[in-house]
Amino acid sequence: MTTTPSPSADGDTVRRAGSSGIGAGRPGFLWAAPAAVFFGLFAIVPLIMVAVLSFASWDGLSDPEFAGLDNWKTLLDDPVMIKSLWLSVLLTVLGVAVQTPLSILLGVWAAGHQRNRAVLSAIYFVPMLLSVAAVSVLWRAVLDPNLGVPAQATWLFGDGNLFGTQATAIGVLVFVSTWQFTPLHTLIYQGAARAVPQVLYQAAQIDGAGTVRQFFHITLPQLRNAIITSMILMVVGGLTTFDTVLILTQGGPGSDTTISAYYMYQKAFKSFDYGAASTIALLLVLVSTVISLIVVRLSGYDRMRSTMEGL
Amino acid sequence: MKRRARSSRTPVVGGAVLALVLSLSGCGEDSDAAGDDTIHVLVYGDAANKVEKEIVATFNKTSEVKAVLDTIPGADYQAKLQTIINSKQAPDVFFNWGGGSIKPFVDADLLLPLDSFIAKDPDLKAKFLPSVFNSAVVDGTSYGIPMRGTQPVLLFNNGKVLEKAGVAPPKTWGDLLAAVKALKADGVTPIALGGGDRWPTLMWFEYLYDRIAGPELFQKALDGDREAWASPDSRKALSMIKELVDAGAFGTNYDSVKFTDQGSPTLLATGRAGFELMGSWAYSTHQDSHPEFAKSDLGYSAFPSVAGGKGEQANVVGNTNNFYSVVKKTKHPQAVAEFLKLMYSDRFVKAQLAIGNLPTTTNTEGFLDTAASPGFARFQYDMVKAAPAFQLSWDQAYPQSAAVTMYQSLQQFFNGSMDEDAFIKAMQALPTS
Repeated sequence: MTTTPSPSADGDTVRRAGSSGIGAGRPGFLWAAPAAVFFGLFAIVPLIMVAVLSFASWDGLSDPEFAGLDNWKTLLDDPVMIKSLWLSVLLTVLGVAVQTPLSILLGVWAAGHQRNRAVLSAIYFVPMLLSVAAVSVLWRAVLDPNLGVPAQATWLFGDGNLFGTQATAIGVLVFVSTWQFTPLHTLIYQGAARAVPQVLYQAAQIDGAGTVRQFFHITLPQLRNAIITSMILMVVGGLTTFDTVLILTQGGPGSDTTISAYYMYQKAFKSFDYGAASTIALLLVLVSTVISLIVVRLSGYDRMRSTMEGL
Repeated sequence: MKRRARSSRTPVVGGAVLALVLSLSGCGEDSDAAGDDTIHVLVYGDAANKVEKEIVATFNKTSEVKAVLDTIPGADYQAKLQTIINSKQAPDVFFNWGGGSIKPFVDADLLLPLDSFIAKDPDLKAKFLPSVFNSAVVDGTSYGIPMRGTQPVLLFNNGKVLEKAGVAPPKTWGDLLAAVKALKADGVTPIALGGGDRWPTLMWFEYLYDRIAGPELFQKALDGDREAWASPDSRKALSMIKELVDAGAFGTNYDSVKFTDQGSPTLLATGRAGFELMGSWAYSTHQDSHPEFAKSDLGYSAFPSVAGGKGEQANVVGNTNNFYSVVKKTKHPQAVAEFLKLMYSDRFVKAQLAIGNLPTTTNTEGFLDTAASPGFARFQYDMVKAAPAFQLSWDQAYPQSAAVTMYQSLQQFFNGSMDEDAFIKAMQALPTS
């Protein structure tokens, strides 16, 4: 190495460091630097600005004015705000509860070798390719009470007022995001199910375990890390859901589907109250962080236990 | 040693990125500084931009200072305008809805009062219908010149459906209730309503309040008199809305129907509903998507009168028009004044009429026969001209910070999940300044 002429000593050390880094398999901080810089500029700095704004009143026109705890007080007294947090959590919980079992079953099935499986899986993954906005517009049209499916299937939908009552509006939101996102989670489970060592199943077969037992005693425990990964994605995605609400219900009827992220949008871009919007944003960050931490803690994900123990 | 070599390099990478970001933003400023002898005209981006382009080109033919037309797609217009209006990228002239939509800008002292323009060229005021011109007057000062077309709200109908049920376009509230009964008996939804959008629901409130209490009551409420909402007239209007909803006039699933995705217009056009209360733009909506219906069966009439009400039968609600307002910081007020004069030119009027808009200048009348649909244009023009009062839509008259709560309360009162007292309380809590 010392015989190589180099334009600068600095460049030389980097080249050497880089090549030996690959060999060592554990990249250093430099690898993360570009991402870290952008993360700092576009995530940390704005987050700090939002935190500052949450203590100010600002309509976007004049200079922000320091307002102390006013935004926080107003929002914590605001029934719509409290309701929106509950709705966010409710939608997230419903999303996890519906999507997790569905995508585990589908994922494990898609990992197998049945006939036509590849074709069916390919068709099944189509919703994942569509944008959320397109999916929402599509379902809004399909569920139109007079021109869509409900007009034909009145025995199921009654008068078709799906967007007009809280329960059905929430049902539609859960259904549409399930339709859109189950394929993504199925993909995660498919990959994880394929990574389960076949020897486990062979051993179980010798011991006389049937398909159902194999699923509950081998597949499911082996999918633990995949379940946690997928659940964290669902929780974060659920708490920040916005586009489906914007297009499907606009927070209605009344404020019955006004989840926090949508309420934040209304405060910022309909009411031009950026202080209140920043407060909601910060609240959402706090709530999401706490919930993610709980999921990680409860699941033992932080201890990085391997599913390959005992092999 | 390896580790240190890496970390010593980090600030350099960071510095390079920062330099890149700075130089990029530097570029932006350069191009801005170049536009010294131009005025920027910012408009809502949609099909009507055709006319605005033409007017800008006409202006540029003779003017030293050149106009540049900028457009922002409709849905984002208001939010983006709010963001740039107090920045270096602020336009010189911009599109708005008058009233509450420009009030925050007036309060922040960002707009140029147009009095001196009007003093120099009285036609800037005199050539427009007063009821329209006045909706861009804030605290006694003019801040906007009408552009585009007026959009009164009319009661549209499907002639074939009405004929089959044996009803005529209603002249009075009683007629309307009778028509609702007859249409219901005939198996159609009496009135199509895009409740999912919420703003179509608002139109029923606006007209009923106007007919029962006259335009003064709403003006009082807007001026900050919270008792206006609790007045007997207000309660009467609310009870009549309730009466209509309870009579099944809108069916039961109106909250799941939208105007914006063609839901309610299709109900009317395909004969599944008898009426729809909608802004005049519904006419061109039908011409686009149901041309046969628009030609043969689409009827329209004014909102019915209410016996014993204080508001005149000829009063109109809706969007009076769109307006051009001028940003105070403009470097070329002279050029802007010249540009605004084009808004009452024959050329402008003809171009607007050709795309189905109805301009509100005093010379519009002479060109009505050149309109896309002369009969409809004349009906609207006569209606707006004869209107003693033209009530700007509530959501545009009130400051924007009121919009969310207003929409929520309207929808909840209409579908019965909020009672009269709760609705009055919610409206009283709206910010008015």
